Amino acid sequence: MPWLDDILWTYQTLIHSLGINGLLALSMYVVLAAGQLSLGQAAFMGLGAYTGALLSLHTGLPFALVLAASALAPAVVAAVIGIPTLRLTGVYLAIATIGLGEVLRVVYVNAGITGGALGLNGIPGRTETWMIFLALGLALAGAFAVGQSRIGRAMEAMRSDGIAAAVMGIDRAAGQLAALLVSAMLAGLAGCFSAHSASFIGPNDYAFETAVTILSFAILGGTGSPLGPVVGALVLTALPEVLRPLQDFRLVFNGLIIVLVVLFLPRGVVPWRMPRLGRLPRGMAP
Amino acid sequence: MTKVFWGSPLWGVLGLATAILVSPSVTAAGSEPLTVGAIEALTGPASRYGIAIRDGLDLALDEVNAGSGGAGGGVLHGRTLAIRYEDSGGQKESAINAARSLIGRERVPVIIGPTLSNEMFAVGPVAVERKVPIIGTSNTANGITDIGPTVFRTSLPEADVIPVTLKTAQSRFGVKRVAVMYGNDDAFTKSGFDVFKANLDSLGFDIATIETFGAKDTDFSAQLTKIKDLGVDAVVVSALVEAASGILLQARQLGLPEKVFFIGGNGFNSPKLGEIAGAAADGTLVGSPWFIDKADPVNQTFVTAFRQRYHKDPDQFAAQAYDTLHILAEAINRAGSVQSEALCQALLQTHHEGVMGLFTFAADRSPGSTAGVVVLVMKDGRFSVLQ
Repeated sequence: MPWLDDILWTYQTLIHSLGINGLLALSMYVVLAAGQLSLGQAAFMGLGAYTGALLSLHTGLPFALVLAASALAPAVVAAVIGIPTLRLTGVYLAIATIGLGEVLRVVYVNAGITGGALGLNGIPGRTETWMIFLALGLALAGAFAVGQSRIGRAMEAMRSDGIAAAVMGIDRAAGQLAALLVSAMLAGLAGCFSAHSASFIGPNDYAFETAVTILSFAILGGTGSPLGPVVGALVLTALPEVLRPLQDFRLVFNGLIIVLVVLFLPRGVVPWRMPRLGRLPRGMAP
Repeated sequence: MTKVFWGSPLWGVLGLATAILVSPSVTAAGSEPLTVGAIEALTGPASRYGIAIRDGLDLALDEVNAGSGGAGGGVLHGRTLAIRYEDSGGQKESAINAARSLIGRERVPVIIGPTLSNEMFAVGPVAVERKVPIIGTSNTANGITDIGPTVFRTSLPEADVIPVTLKTAQSRFGVKRVAVMYGNDDAFTKSGFDVFKANLDSLGFDIATIETFGAKDTDFSAQLTKIKDLGVDAVVVSALVEAASGILLQARQLGLPEKVFFIGGNGFNSPKLGEIAGAAADGTLVGSPWFIDKADPVNQTFVTAFRQRYHKDPDQFAAQAYDTLHILAEAINRAGSVQSEALCQALLQTHHEGVMGLFTFAADRSPGSTAGVVVLVMKDGRFSVLQ
């Protein structure tokens, strides 16, 4: 079906962006679900993108290994910075993670191998649509599964009241570090997909504005369940392109719709909390 | 995809808005207009370039359709030429989506733009994949036309302008020893520095020091104090106009001698430099592919028409875009069709007397001649051609 091929070709980058931003939104959700606010998602994404791009440009590694490395690199950095900074809470962790983004940007600008301010171009287009959506599907399913488990409930306790949760015997530091690691891996994966989809990356792609955009996916979508941030990402990514026929009025309507959502749906587009499935774990009262 | 979320009020609002505002498709009487695509940064920080380019293209478009090229109006024996603009906002994802939409849905035979070199690095491969000729009017970075065989550019890369500036400084002012400053976190200024460095070396300049700064820096006193003590003849700077103005002002405040002048890259090439830096900018040298006061009749006609239509002065980006559309229209007529190979061949045979001087393409699809480059000197807050 040639017409279908044409439609897929036309919207290929948009479809990729929908999935990639969905992954980024989930990575934000994982941190938020553990009761922390990180603005380092863009930095983790950038690490994944640069790791993946450099491996593809300089080695002949299969894409699966490149993806794995791109998820691991930010996780290692997240572990190194997470152990001291997770002692910070609320806005202080956010500030520390903004710092991480800035430090990495300066590294990309000054290191020779990253192409400096010119970035890297000619990255092979190895990202296939099914890979992104398989990753997104698995991540969503994983987030739901964890949400139903003991860990998910522990996280919910940490989010509602950290001190009370600690008193109840929940290892808050371990839980939050684990959440940060998973979130860094998801963001790194998204970065690797995006680098191999857009064929060009530069140091300014992963700056503060990107971090705020990722946070806004979660806020607009609603953070009650993993589905919320993903829907938020889909809406915010698709909106500017769906509105393209409006030409000059595009940004006006884009802004108007976001304002309307924030006014009338303050808890996000998907305001519901994750449903409880099955029995409660033994020994827990409802 | 929309069906899944149709129940959400957001999509209701969206659907309504789209239904009301989608413009009805225009059906022309007689022959269909020939529509080409243009991707420009019409919003966002890069919009000052994108809007200047659109102004230049629109002016040339009306001239082409009015029949300035002789033999009736339009292209291909009387078909009206039209431009479909897509806004990229200066962002590469948006630029790629625009390119895919222009090629896949609008079926445009050729694309003009995008505005920024970074966008071209992302969009170029998409156009090359579908063998669609794409003509950058404002991309100056190295390696643009290496993207693929259908990527052209009409903007002179810095690599062509900077040697002219440096040779002039060497022969006219006897400059030997220079200090270099550049913004290292911006693709444009870093690229300019690379070209400066290569040419300073090959022309035998003595480089006393190389200092860096960030695009958003406002204090350059550390770098300038160091340079002051090195006894240089000139300071070579690759910076955007905001940082450039700050450097010039602070250099004079810190007592850098009057005889030490500045040599700038394309970022200096803005009337804003004189407005902000005033007398501190006197003596600054900069090379440019175009200048508003160039006396040749083609240029004067363009400047007059531009002022009449937009009530403002054209800049270099408008001039390059203006030439590009004429070059494209001529190439379409020469090719006799908009078929990709024929059009690429016809573009390569370009021989256009435009506002930037005689324009030809080199074999690598970049501009073939630097004859149009002028060296400008700043005096009393205004640039003029160095006589």
